[in-house]
Amino acid sequence: MALLEATGISKRFGSTRVLENISLSLEKGEALAIIGSSGSGKTTLLRCLNFLETPDTGRIVVDGETLWDAEDPATHKESEKRKKRLHFGLVFQNFNLFPQYTALQNIMLAGELLSKERPDYKANRKQIHADLEAQARRLLDQMGLSDRADHYPHQLSGGQQQRVAIARALALEPDILCFDEPTSALDPELTGEVLRVLRDLAAHKTTMIIVTHEMTFARDVADRILFMDRGVVVEEGPAHQVIEHPQEERTRQFLANYNT
Amino acid sequence: MSEALVIWERLSGSFLLNVELFALTLVFALPLGLLVAFGSMSRFAPLRGVVRTFVWVIRGTPLMLQIIVIYLGPGLMDWGNPWPSGSGGRLTASVVAFVINYACYFSEIYRGGIESVPRGQTEAGQVLGMTKSQIFFKVTLLQVIKRILPPMGNEVITLVKDTSLANIISCKEIIMMAKEYSAKGLIWPLFSTAIFFLIFVGVLTILFGALEKKMDYFK
Repeated sequence: MALLEATGISKRFGSTRVLENISLSLEKGEALAIIGSSGSGKTTLLRCLNFLETPDTGRIVVDGETLWDAEDPATHKESEKRKKRLHFGLVFQNFNLFPQYTALQNIMLAGELLSKERPDYKANRKQIHADLEAQARRLLDQMGLSDRADHYPHQLSGGQQQRVAIARALALEPDILCFDEPTSALDPELTGEVLRVLRDLAAHKTTMIIVTHEMTFARDVADRILFMDRGVVVEEGPAHQVIEHPQEERTRQFLANYNT
Repeated sequence: MSEALVIWERLSGSFLLNVELFALTLVFALPLGLLVAFGSMSRFAPLRGVVRTFVWVIRGTPLMLQIIVIYLGPGLMDWGNPWPSGSGGRLTASVVAFVINYACYFSEIYRGGIESVPRGQTEAGQVLGMTKSQIFFKVTLLQVIKRILPPMGNEVITLVKDTSLANIISCKEIIMMAKEYSAKGLIWPLFSTAIFFLIFVGVLTILFGALEKKMDYFK
């Protein structure tokens, strides 16, 4: 059974249909890229998976656990949303680092707050903190930012900020890591360093969903690609096939705008 | 002791009342303003409506009038006078009027500050599994404080000078004291009250400058 099974997801904002009966599944260790023009609903889909938006219809099942079922009010409890979100991580287009914390603190903050809910927190506070810091430093190292641990976000370049944001999401060890156009807010010369990190994560079999406009990157790094247009999935398939031999006319039109 | 020295001493003594009113107003109005701000941002429309109307009334009428209404109103309405007699009662009534008035002004500053923090900050906290209060206290609050320091400084400086309005219900603050001399034909004490205000505001200006500098480490 797939790690993630999302079925029949629909979402409207007022009278605008943003998502129309979207289904997707994801195996553990798989990287899925979602492509499509602006306004096609890609970002809204990611936000639904992360419970930042509430889908009007559909189900979201992770690892056999039903996190959301529009038909089943028992899955709608506000109080449980917070824990359910932890199955997913989300890296934002514009990073959203916390400006008043250093890179290291940004990565550690959520872990520290969550650890306070552990029954053994009082007894092992020092150890827990040391473990979190060691993990955060390891992640910074993995992102090539060991020397930036004590820098505040405004002292970092966009590419560095985004890598810190990726480390921050990884620190909570989500089942599925989502990226919402992670390089769209970056200067062209900075996108490379972020894409390198994503390649590295894919090579290490991190389960990922990446919304992106970088077609070459999607083709080379993703296992599968899903092409969305006006809130529906137009085409889905192995990455090379979708980019190089698209089956649908709409996909061909879209890809013609990119020189891949 | 020369007469001038006695006058200076009495002016200083009465200025303590201004300082007391100032301090008490801040102590109560700063937290109350935050509550009012939450009310005016509530998703529950009736509460939001009531709070915003209240803020409109308070900001839309003179503080001097509010002091009079709060001090004399209950007695005139036959509700019984809640204020103790004497100068203590007048000060208490003034503090209540000032707290309500300033809480409303502060609430608008808070609201502006809170709404100016990008939505993405809250969302980042949410996807990291933080609770609402964790997001407010660990993520949003310091960013709000940084943003509201300049307008707060303005408002606090205004408060220093507004404290003299309490003389409308015969609170013996510094202007009232000085006017007693000018009534007798001695005008310099009234003019020299400016020195007290200037020094106090000067200290506050330096303090706020230091606070803003302290917040300079992030953007």
